[in-house]
Amino acid sequence: MNILITGLITGSMLALLAIGFSLIFGVARIINIAHTAFYMVAAYCIFFLSIRLGLNPFLSMLIAVTLVTVTGLVVYKLVIDPIREHEGAVLIATIALAMFLQEVILQLFTGDYRSIDFMIGGFFTIGGYKIFYQQLLTFGVVLIILLALWFLLMKTRLGLAIRSMAEDREVANLMGMNESRLAMITLAISVALAGITGVVIGPLMVLNPHMWEDPLIIMMAVVVLGGLGSIKGSFVAAFILGFTEALVVFLVPTGAFLKGPVALIIMILVLLIRPEGLFGVAFEEER
Amino acid sequence: MELIIFYFKKLFKILRNEVLVLPSRVVVGIFFIVLLGLPLITQDPYIIRIVILTSIFAIFAASWDLLSGFTGQMNFGHALFFGVGAYSSAILNIHFHLSPWGTVPLGAVVAVLAGLIVGIPCLRLKHTYLALTTLAFPLILLGVIIALPDISGGELGMTGLTRITNSLLGNYYLHVVTFLVLAIIMWKITDSNTGIIFHAIREDELAVKASGINTIFYKLLAFCLSGFFAGIAGGLYAHYMRIAGPSTLELSLSFTVVIYAIFGGAATIYGPIAAVFILFPLLEVFRIWPEYRMMLFAAVVLIILLYMPEGLIHWIRDKIEKECPRCKVRNVATRKTCRICTANLD
Amino acid sequence: MKKRTFGWNVMLIACLIMAISLPAWGKTIKIGVIGPMQSLEGRDHWNGATMAADEINAEGGVKVGKVKMKIELIKCDSNEDKNITDAANAMERLITNDRVDLIVGGFRTEAVFPMQDIAMDYKKIFIGCGAATDELCNRVGKDYKRYKYFFRGTPFKSSYLAKTSIMHLIACAGVIKKELDVPIKVALVAEKLSWTEGMVKLIQGYVPKLGYELVGTWQPSARATDVTAELSAIQKSGANVIFTVFSGMVGITFARQAGEFKIPALQVGINVESQKEGFWEATKGMGNYVFTMNTYVRGIEQNELTGPYMESYLKRYQQVPTYTADTYAAIKYALVPSIEAVGSLNADKIVAHLEAREYKVPSGVIKYEKNNEGVYTHDLTWGPGYLTSLGCQWQDGKLVGVWPNNWMPDPKNHPDLKITYKGMVPIKLPPWMKK
Repeated sequence: MNILITGLITGSMLALLAIGFSLIFGVARIINIAHTAFYMVAAYCIFFLSIRLGLNPFLSMLIAVTLVTVTGLVVYKLVIDPIREHEGAVLIATIALAMFLQEVILQLFTGDYRSIDFMIGGFFTIGGYKIFYQQLLTFGVVLIILLALWFLLMKTRLGLAIRSMAEDREVANLMGMNESRLAMITLAISVALAGITGVVIGPLMVLNPHMWEDPLIIMMAVVVLGGLGSIKGSFVAAFILGFTEALVVFLVPTGAFLKGPVALIIMILVLLIRPEGLFGVAFEEER
Repeated sequence: MELIIFYFKKLFKILRNEVLVLPSRVVVGIFFIVLLGLPLITQDPYIIRIVILTSIFAIFAASWDLLSGFTGQMNFGHALFFGVGAYSSAILNIHFHLSPWGTVPLGAVVAVLAGLIVGIPCLRLKHTYLALTTLAFPLILLGVIIALPDISGGELGMTGLTRITNSLLGNYYLHVVTFLVLAIIMWKITDSNTGIIFHAIREDELAVKASGINTIFYKLLAFCLSGFFAGIAGGLYAHYMRIAGPSTLELSLSFTVVIYAIFGGAATIYGPIAAVFILFPLLEVFRIWPEYRMMLFAAVVLIILLYMPEGLIHWIRDKIEKECPRCKVRNVATRKTCRICTANLD
Repeated sequence: MKKRTFGWNVMLIACLIMAISLPAWGKTIKIGVIGPMQSLEGRDHWNGATMAADEINAEGGVKVGKVKMKIELIKCDSNEDKNITDAANAMERLITNDRVDLIVGGFRTEAVFPMQDIAMDYKKIFIGCGAATDELCNRVGKDYKRYKYFFRGTPFKSSYLAKTSIMHLIACAGVIKKELDVPIKVALVAEKLSWTEGMVKLIQGYVPKLGYELVGTWQPSARATDVTAELSAIQKSGANVIFTVFSGMVGITFARQAGEFKIPALQVGINVESQKEGFWEATKGMGNYVFTMNTYVRGIEQNELTGPYMESYLKRYQQVPTYTADTYAAIKYALVPSIEAVGSLNADKIVAHLEAREYKVPSGVIKYEKNNEGVYTHDLTWGPGYLTSLGCQWQDGKLVGVWPNNWMPDPKNHPDLKITYKGMVPIKLPPWMKK
């Protein structure tokens, strides 16, 4: 029971992050190391708006997500777009960007640990296991977002475009799709997803300027495990790793600190058997 | 006597015909001279220390380039080799009381093994999969280190390593000469047939396979060679700092080396080295504004990349030199015709 | 004409500045303050040191032989929480470029080791004000000639931390016994890092000897952001005391989630984050009733120096000093009196004088230890009459001192020896512990 709940919550958070990361990789072939940095920025935004300025938490949620999305777009236009052709350069640009954001946060809010209020306080008990309402809320929001995303990707023209672009860029381009504009839109969605994650998970976390590093690794593991560019894969892999972590914590209490490495080992083992991830398309030899 | 004069003349001739004709070669020559002659100008321990550490990280960055720049096997977990080198040197030095002259090469050998352990499972992986998977290895090792504090010292690291030598100049020349020698070896490797195959694997693995070359062997070779050099860097670092700690395996180190290499210009060996010699001291210069150090560092990297997405060294080289369209020999940008085949350069 | 006056003025001012600064330039004692200046620990290093320097300079400076010398502080950001290489470079720069005479500071153990080595290379006195590992001072004992320039300033070594924490456990268990009359069940929660290793073993061995039941040991990561799993298990085990050993972020997570869940147990032990004033805010008030070891608490006076120190620190920085602010004591009570006594800046002479002294500081009395072979380790003596540290508890938004309160350090041999510091209040149990 405990394992189920912890696994579900960790998994859903990972899924949100990983899908965003996967989307932008699929469409624009950008490995966005700064993805979780945006998640951190969103969490700090909430902290600033709701605690420093005393705004309504739901209002500040909205503002935070918008703000992060806009920042993401501006940054994309400024530093990523001009060097899109050079894969390596884009890669380290996103690393530098993550470092930059971390330093900005450090200057603005110092390195002290911060916390955000729960949106709904309290907890309830199932079978001797306690669950915060906030965790439940997080889980709910994640499900809604995932559903909305599924709808967007599967039922709209935009979704069709994104999917086809992820499937085969060249053909999509030949069909007259505007690659650059689509990349922009996808990036916006991707960053917004990171922002939403930050906003809903924020209250459960302790905020600090290094909080982007830990989820980054696990998120990448999820994306690779699920297969790059595959939304379904990311979703499934997120829950696999979420449950793995939960299992480690519950079955080996004195080894709880090993949950990250164990998840990574599982990822490597799966990749040994299926080098393209669980749901990844085996890329043709790209030439 | 005449023989000496003969050799001297020959040397002079080589210097004039081969080195002085290309600005990049002149720069490399000056770099060697300055590096070796620096203690004549200043013996400030702080500057000496910075140059030593820069040399160590330059070996590290170049070893990344040997693997990832040349063969295209993106390694996001290069800190693994560095950390393995550092930790195995430390274990040999502390638990087995070996002298640093033995621990550093042995540490490098262990790093080669690490290269194999990582390399073999990664053979099947490509591109981004490979990059993101390699990221995991140092972090797994980090977990192991925290789990075994009796051997590894846990998060406190292993302390009390002996230095290779305690004299200031001894340390300086030891590290700088090691760096220069290793850099030349790496450059020679990439210039050899092996290097050409590495290059070809990155460009088109299928074609290399089709030519009857065992790409698996060469990919593993790249992992091992790269692990070897990075391991030496790690061992030198541990002995110089007299501590091997978990910071040698952290994510930030893996990222930093990627930044160095791509910033300088991948697949050149000298690019990453130049980048380390620019960025590492730059970080020290930024101590003037201690609060904004890292921010400035990130900003510099971002801005330079905007203008030189191929990497700093590629950009500079293209500005000062031109490649002859006919015989592919490089020429000074000011020349109108090629210095070898006299073809028109424009 | 006007131009000429201006020129003269400039020259006059320049001369004046030279006249003032030249002699003074030769007469300052440079003290380097090294620490992670971006975080609270480093800021407190700097705050404590500046306060000490200002106080001494206001009285005219340090009397070295026949001349009065002012103290000049050099701030050095070691960036050690992020980058060890950086920290070592910073130390080298501090010594060889800024040419400091003395050094105080240091925090993260992995960084303090290389920093210590560099300071010893140059034979500079380095008072460590942050890292607790025993090994730092064991080195002094093992190789006295090389490491004698290192002193521990604060905190006392980690093996004493365990000892003190057990005293705290006994005090808390006493309260629970008295108020609830139930058998004591202890759950041990320690972050998985090697500094906790020794403590965990010691406590696991000691708890049954005290007649308490140890119901389990949990080791989350120091950076854990979710401990609900551990908490559920602890509650099921029926523990009424949770013995915590935390230095990292997990201290906040654990206290907050335990508070939210209203786990019916008292948290005691070490929780470094809860020593900071920001803890209440960081846990959203859920860290109520958390008990931790600490060095300074508002309103508690270990001796007559504590009061004025706290008062001026609070006035100046509007916050309670954490232990790294003991750079103040290191400069004011350790270094300066010794320099004045030996009348020179000769490091060997200062070391010889300082290690033999026994002197008062705001947190107690400092006496340097010797190891079994009789060699000074420059470690701090623990015990009644020396340093004991405090036990303190968060009670409704305030961190109050609760230990030592009628503490009997040696009930067998000295039954009347009871120690109580000024300003102590009783330990409070969380109301949800009472059914």
